[in-house]
Amino acid sequence: MSSAYLPVLMLFGVSVLNAVGMVVASQVLNPRRATPEKDMPYESGMIPLGDTRARFSVKFYMVAISFIIFDLEAIFLIPWAVEMRALGWGGFVAVSIFMMVLVVGFVYEWKKGGLDWE
Amino acid sequence: MELEFTSRVDYIWALLPEIVLSIGAMVVLLVGVFREADDDPAAGDASPLGWISLIALAAAAMANGWLTGIPVASASPMVAVDPFRLFANWIFLGGAGLTILLSFPYVTRQRLQAGEFYTLILLCTVGMMFMASARDLLLLFLGVETMSIAAYVLTAFNRRDRRSSEAGLKYFLLGAFSSAFLLYGIALTWGATGTTNLLEIGEAVAGGAAVPGLIMAGMGLLAIGFAFKVAAVPFHMWTPDVYEGAPTPSTAFMAATVKAASFVAFARLFMEAFPALYDSWSTVFWWLAALTMIIPNVVALSQSNVKRMLAYSSIAHGGYLLVALTAANEMATAGLLFYLLVYSIMNIGALAVVMVASGHAEERLQIGDYAGFGWAQPMLGVVFTIFLLSLAGFPGTGGFMAKIYLLQGAAESELWTLAVVLALATVVSYYYYLRVAWYMWMRPAAPDLTHEEVWVPLPMRMGLVASAAILIFLGIFPGGIIDLARAATHGFFLAGVLP
Amino acid sequence: MHELSPMAFAISSSIKVFLVFSVSLAVVAFMTLTERKVAGFIQDRLGPNRVGPFGLLQPVADGIKNFLKEETMPATANRPFFIMAPMLAIIPAVVTFAVIPFAAPLPTPWGVVGMVVADIPIGILYVLALSSLGVYGLFLAGWASNNKYALLGGVRSSSQMVSYEVALGLSLIPVFMLAGNVTLTEIVWQQQLLGMWYLFPLSLAFIFFVISAFAETNRLPFDLPEAESELVTGYHTEYSAMKFSMFMIAEFSHILTASALMATLFLGGWSIPFWSGDHMFWYQGMLISGFGADGAPVAAAPALWITLLTLLSFIVKTLFFILVFMWVRWTLPRFRYDQVMHLGWKVMLPIALAYVMIIAATILVLDQVGIEGFLFGAVLTLVSLLCTGIFVFAVDRDRIISGSTREPAPPAPRSPVPSGAGVRRVLPAGSPASGDL
Repeated sequence: MSSAYLPVLMLFGVSVLNAVGMVVASQVLNPRRATPEKDMPYESGMIPLGDTRARFSVKFYMVAISFIIFDLEAIFLIPWAVEMRALGWGGFVAVSIFMMVLVVGFVYEWKKGGLDWE
Repeated sequence: MELEFTSRVDYIWALLPEIVLSIGAMVVLLVGVFREADDDPAAGDASPLGWISLIALAAAAMANGWLTGIPVASASPMVAVDPFRLFANWIFLGGAGLTILLSFPYVTRQRLQAGEFYTLILLCTVGMMFMASARDLLLLFLGVETMSIAAYVLTAFNRRDRRSSEAGLKYFLLGAFSSAFLLYGIALTWGATGTTNLLEIGEAVAGGAAVPGLIMAGMGLLAIGFAFKVAAVPFHMWTPDVYEGAPTPSTAFMAATVKAASFVAFARLFMEAFPALYDSWSTVFWWLAALTMIIPNVVALSQSNVKRMLAYSSIAHGGYLLVALTAANEMATAGLLFYLLVYSIMNIGALAVVMVASGHAEERLQIGDYAGFGWAQPMLGVVFTIFLLSLAGFPGTGGFMAKIYLLQGAAESELWTLAVVLALATVVSYYYYLRVAWYMWMRPAAPDLTHEEVWVPLPMRMGLVASAAILIFLGIFPGGIIDLARAATHGFFLAGVLP
Repeated sequence: MHELSPMAFAISSSIKVFLVFSVSLAVVAFMTLTERKVAGFIQDRLGPNRVGPFGLLQPVADGIKNFLKEETMPATANRPFFIMAPMLAIIPAVVTFAVIPFAAPLPTPWGVVGMVVADIPIGILYVLALSSLGVYGLFLAGWASNNKYALLGGVRSSSQMVSYEVALGLSLIPVFMLAGNVTLTEIVWQQQLLGMWYLFPLSLAFIFFVISAFAETNRLPFDLPEAESELVTGYHTEYSAMKFSMFMIAEFSHILTASALMATLFLGGWSIPFWSGDHMFWYQGMLISGFGADGAPVAAAPALWITLLTLLSFIVKTLFFILVFMWVRWTLPRFRYDQVMHLGWKVMLPIALAYVMIIAATILVLDQVGIEGFLFGAVLTLVSLLCTGIFVFAVDRDRIISGSTREPAPPAPRSPVPSGAGVRRVLPAGSPASGDL
């Protein structure tokens, strides 16, 4: 069965070669005439102000954390979904309990404002 | 009805207390967040949520009581339904209830988010109950993590306070570190025996089926992991800072109940899985116990901050409890349970008084701040004195009887040196406990101290008085409880594995 | 018909790998031209028409230009990551196509060759895993450029892709329920057996999949990571020449894969509607076309013309979705960022969860009653239509997604501006900026 993965590996190898090839080819072919202005980060034609590595909004972290929880939920649902008709109502009830727990968390996060972008 | 663990429904019955408490925690969480969203003018008051949490605890306690009467037909693969677990559950539920009851004024005054705070306490308790019931290393680890993660957050809960955040981070880092030890230990033990079930590990070890080097390494790592959790010297470095920085109800909860859960799981792990290696681990535990009794007691002598002093005292109590683990006989294990019960009550009680006496921003924590406290607040003064005496192990209090049982257990295993160290350490500890009492009653209050303003609502007063009364009662009539504890540990040690 | 020998399998696989790889890159190249042609059509102008007949050689010219142009890189950029980012973006985008079956199995003298690069058992999970790897490339590009616009674009793109990944995953759950497997070949086969494209019984899942696919590919109306009016071009602001081109190739490959997935999951893949001659599936080492009345499998008769016809069917379906992508791109305006997040988390996630449970319950009830075949599909279609109706009601802009998540200020007493919808559409001062970060 693992031989089924052989073509994936081949395609992966081809596309890595392709990606490296593109970078190398353009590196070889293109001219390079650097000036201080060219080497500056683009900021609408102005001289860049301040530091780029500034802190950004905590909302993005909230999204990342929520993602971990709910994407894992989706992943956990996949094995059940595949065997859903065989597992019948017992599996359905079990998954409903699992979902209820997550829904409590979801309602909490919603009410707490964790999903708001203001 | 009888639990046979042939169908999955039996697991639901076996885990009923945990399930009930989890549902209760979710209800508290939702009620809390909806109250906040409603802009309820009373949202700052913690007591309604606290009462809901207490109802949830009471429901879990009822489930626990119901489970006590259920016979078990077979040893279950993962969840133990034995008196040891159920007795431990009483300690956890009682400790959580006492913490919640005594924390109303603190949570309200510090404007903590009551819904989350009580939810975390309840979920932490669920984790502890899983630890007590786990007969499988993986379930044990899940319980430890559920408890610990809730405890980290409880430590860092007062986010307006830098000390609290710092303590939370310290606790989290070292806790994660110790969890790694636990996991490595679990992995090696599994590698050595091919199973994660405690009883099967015990059989494999006793039958010589375990890989010798691996099982010792696994056991050692498990011991280190738990030594971190119970704050045994030399793995106690995090404890004083964390206990001092955490919000005081969290400190009380962690110092008492979290420690109790760690000890219960520690005991079950080593007595069910590694009884055949008793000779190896008892030596290590002997040294851990001796160090944990001596060093914190000496350090506590020089503490002027009462909360920090109580933190060292709680490490020292861990040392006394380690004596019971080292002795590892029926008497000592019963003594361990009894001690944990008494210790939870007295430690939570003492920290509850510190909680109300320390002022708005926890600024009055120095021992000098307690000068004249007894005369200004006679009720609090009396109960605090009782708690301190009990912590010290003064005759007539529960703490004394608990130590007597530990000494008895140590004597049965002929650990004479440890028994002597325990007695001497107790004598040393009298000094720093009684010093607080002395300040409270014998020193005049500084003119700028206003002990009269301490706010203690009625439920808290009743809780404190009841706790003190229980301590006195247990000091005079310990028979009923110790008999229960003995019944809970009967046949537990060595679990019938040794010939 | 027998399976291939290992040697023949290796050879046929290499041929398929190179064919699929080069064809998909060529398709991607011509998609850039198509996009500009479609734009020209929609905006009532000609589009590129100078290079070759009808501008057909435009992609070639673009490619040569991109290889020969000067590249810039900010001196303050993080060099290794700056170079790595476009590679990280393009590799998963190209590899994802591997598990999508594009035609009926082809008979050859050495055995029957499945027309899919790799029929691996994890099937669509592979697609999910790899497509989410694309986030790294975009975020790394934004971060390594050391440019504020790029950083904002990178952060936005990662959090947007991550948000819609959840809805994407949940929209696939009903498909797995009906197909009972995660391999795309079996999903196609089950649609053939049911006699109905999953588009109908799972219409809401299809809608969610399309919306999430738009968000995952950062296409309008979800192109906030490269919102040119706010962020220059977002995460690839600092990229030029071939490296910029690599991001474009990655984006178009994602569109190609997403279109092919939509066709496969919901439109029956390569199967031809209303015709059972193309029913083919590997069942216990045997290529079958269905089950007889006694439940015994019936052997299939693959043929070259069937393969070609099904390939055409697959191309038509995929092309349709590619054109939808472009049509939407040149038709709809861009969301505001808070709206994107609102739609993803507060509308699609709960409705998708509820939909999963509703479909599961419906299937279980139908199984219990013993309904099968067309009626089974018809009942599910009705249920899904109902759910779709509720969803459409829910996303109605004036009910849940209002003009702004901020509540409009209560109208001042005796205000000349009438309260109501008119006020709502006026943005509060400073809100576009607050939508950025």
